[in-house]
Amino acid sequence: MPFDPTDIALSVVKIAIVLLALLNVTPIMVWVERRGSALIQDRPGPNRVGPFGLFQSFADALKFILKEDIVPQTANKLLYTIAPAIGLLPALTTIAVVPWGRSFTLHDIHLFGRTFFVQPRLFEPIIANVNVGVLVVFALASLSVYGVTVAGWSSNNKYSLFGGIRASAQMISYELALTLAAVSALLAAGSLRLSDVVWRQTGYFVLFDTIKLPAWNCFSPAMWLSMIVFIVSGFAETNRLPFDFAEAEAELVAGYHTEYSSMKFALFFMGEYMAMATMSTLITTLFLGGWDIPWYNEPATFLGFLLSVIAFEVKVSIVLFIFVWVRWTIPRLKYDILMRLGWKVFLPLAVVNIVLVALFILKGWI
Amino acid sequence: MFEYVVFFFFAAVAVIFALVVILHRNPVVSALSLVVSFFSLSVMYVLLDAPFLAVLQVIVYAGAIMVLFLFVIMLLNLQHMSEPATRPIQQFLGYTTSAAFAIGLVYYVIKYAVFTAMPSGPFHTESSAIGVALFESYVFPFEMVSILLLAAIVGALLLSGRTTVRSEVQP
Repeated sequence: MPFDPTDIALSVVKIAIVLLALLNVTPIMVWVERRGSALIQDRPGPNRVGPFGLFQSFADALKFILKEDIVPQTANKLLYTIAPAIGLLPALTTIAVVPWGRSFTLHDIHLFGRTFFVQPRLFEPIIANVNVGVLVVFALASLSVYGVTVAGWSSNNKYSLFGGIRASAQMISYELALTLAAVSALLAAGSLRLSDVVWRQTGYFVLFDTIKLPAWNCFSPAMWLSMIVFIVSGFAETNRLPFDFAEAEAELVAGYHTEYSSMKFALFFMGEYMAMATMSTLITTLFLGGWDIPWYNEPATFLGFLLSVIAFEVKVSIVLFIFVWVRWTIPRLKYDILMRLGWKVFLPLAVVNIVLVALFILKGWI
Repeated sequence: MFEYVVFFFFAAVAVIFALVVILHRNPVVSALSLVVSFFSLSVMYVLLDAPFLAVLQVIVYAGAIMVLFLFVIMLLNLQHMSEPATRPIQQFLGYTTSAAFAIGLVYYVIKYAVFTAMPSGPFHTESSAIGVALFESYVFPFEMVSILLLAAIVGALLLSGRTTVRSEVQP
């Protein structure tokens, strides 16, 4: 593998951009969550710290840092300490294979009195464009169970253990439906690369020779079923409210992180929101056309890149808001209903949908 | 050069955590170490230009199978049980057998292992190539394996569900 300093520098820049964006998701989403829930429940919500309560997240962060970090005496110290880190790792790394903008050609940048990129170079806004793309996502998603399970077990608390066991059972069950639902979008694109999935969705469906719809998967009738299954399984996979059995306050105090306090708890909190953000980018990429701007052909320049990144951010934000909206609208299910739903409804639906999409592709309707 | 650094780092991680698996007293730590070991093994596949296999290694072994292991260990909640003391003859037999096995293993590795360079061409391990191979050349063994797995699942259900009246999907 030859070392190319420019390549390495570009990769570092990309990783920095994505990580900063991902780390900023948590404070912003905490604010959206609190103000959104207040909006839905017809109350003001936190509105004292800064304009519209925007600085509430800073106050929260400060509180997390200043609180005492308590480790229960009977806990398994080693596992108790590393569990939050195990939980955070998959949430931080999964996003590496998601494309977040249109690629463009870099050339002739004058910086510090030197000229960079005399040789034009394609800038791909994706950290790792590997040819197994989406499988990496599922591999890391399958590892995200460990953080919750280990946290639940090592706390040595009945409620924590219940939370951990429920979470792992739930995540294993819904992972299958999630994977199978994603297959339909991959079948249509004919590739496991998420950038190919996005390229496949640029263009138009033309209805009745007059109406031009963007060729996003969510406008294709064959994809509707898989989109619903994917989004619902995504909610279950990220332990969000209609399915948040890992922490179900009413029955389990706080589930797997009952015993956690201070920054260890904050890590779980961040992990949850980052997993949510990653799931939103995946929903956007697979079904909402990724960075594609409807009715506009982005040029392959820096401007087109910026516009496509903004389009991507807007779509992800909308999906994230739907996450919040659903959380404060739909009550928690019962646990046995959750398992029955996962195995007896969503899994068969996803399998049926694969056959359907395969048929559509065979007939040339997609 | 860079590849060697990555290889030796992850090889060391894999070996160390494999040792932790057998030497640590806490079964949960052992299971988690096995996950780390599997993960380091998947890096070897990446170095061999086989990312598909690497990802499958993580999904199947580190993800699915080890989660089930961990699940069972946690549900049983194994404590440090004091094992009954072994008799001297048992200890002697154990040490002799393992020593004989180790000597034989080293002998055969030195005698028959071929230390050559890495294969020059890339492996054909793209997902499409694997899919075509599975469903064209190897379609019969592939289907046989799926039937075998189905039989195993039915057998496991039959064995475990004998006493329960209603068999729901248990959490």
